[in-house]
Amino acid sequence: MSLIKELTKGFIKENPVFIMALGLCPALAVSNSIENAIGMGGAATFVLLCSNILISLLKNFIPPKIRIPCYIVVIASFVTIVDMTMNAYLPDLHRNLGIFIPLIVVNCVILGRAEAFASRNSVLKSIFDGIGMGIGFTIALVAVAFFRELLGAGQLMGIQIFPNNYQPILVAILAPGAFLTLGLLMGLINLFKKPETD
Amino acid sequence: MTYYIKLGVILFMIAAIASGVLAFVNNFTKPIIEENQRQMEIEARRTVLPQAKTFEYVEDNLPYYRGYDEEGQLVGYTFMAVGAGYSGDIQTMVGLTADYKIFSISVLIQTETPGLGANCTRPEFTNQFSGKEVDELYIDVDSGDIDNITGATITARALTNSVKKASDIIIEQTKDLSDNTKHDYSKDKETV
Repeated sequence: MSLIKELTKGFIKENPVFIMALGLCPALAVSNSIENAIGMGGAATFVLLCSNILISLLKNFIPPKIRIPCYIVVIASFVTIVDMTMNAYLPDLHRNLGIFIPLIVVNCVILGRAEAFASRNSVLKSIFDGIGMGIGFTIALVAVAFFRELLGAGQLMGIQIFPNNYQPILVAILAPGAFLTLGLLMGLINLFKKPETD
Repeated sequence: MTYYIKLGVILFMIAAIASGVLAFVNNFTKPIIEENQRQMEIEARRTVLPQAKTFEYVEDNLPYYRGYDEEGQLVGYTFMAVGAGYSGDIQTMVGLTADYKIFSISVLIQTETPGLGANCTRPEFTNQFSGKEVDELYIDVDSGDIDNITGATITARALTNSVKKASDIIIEQTKDLSDNTKHDYSKDKETV
């Protein structure tokens, strides 16, 4: 029961992007098309899962004083592995995500979960937490990308949705559109969220 | 004191294991990545100059490939055109026929804005280059007849100009040989 809770809390209730406002840099940068959002979400989820497992395993071995450099080494290693394997086996996706892959290293969702969860909980719980948070991150990216791609290009997943004479709202696909969409979605979620009772 | 040495040793161990794992993965993936790159270029050469059956690499200021058909007749050249686009270099493979017309182009690497500049990879844009003389290569904004990409003038202009510039260099590099269309290896070194 509690494992399922660890998994689902990341979807909406503790969504890393919308609620905790972590990992905003990749959420803004890679949400211009759903395809990129899924690719980035998948890569980040994989790194998050691996780093959560390893850090949870090493939690008694890593002295608290040097935990941050240790976490960064672990995360950076997994990111580099993802980068190289993706380049080898999924070159098309790798070409699209390009510079964003190395940026997963500084994605604070991953360091945040290592610090706040994996270093204090069992491996099993950390696995569920990692998957849940990764899915939550992906949901957020896809949600932002949905509006940006639809309005900015008239497409979804590269398939034309609006008729060809639709004049795309170019700002949606450029950087300002990312800020606007993310801000509006965050506001919308806060509007419907039950106020926290003290 | 020993406590701090212990910290250093632990950090060193973690870093050492991490670099060992990375070296292993790199060893494993590097040949595949290079092979992909090579395949991609071979594929692109075939697409931009399909009438050529064999390609021969020529080292020059701008390296290029000569394409020959089955009878060893020179049919054209392929080369990479690189131009600075809106958010990074755009690398385009160009196929130029032996009488210096663009046969076709294929955008290999670009990091332009999806939905705008990234549309430069679409056939609607790239097909316009086919059959054009090198001198005609300007976008409509610069009073040429390559239709611009809506909202991505910088990309369209950078790509078109880079193709024109690279083609001009290739024409310069190969014009001494243009009458000599038979495959003649002895001339290869004198192309400069």
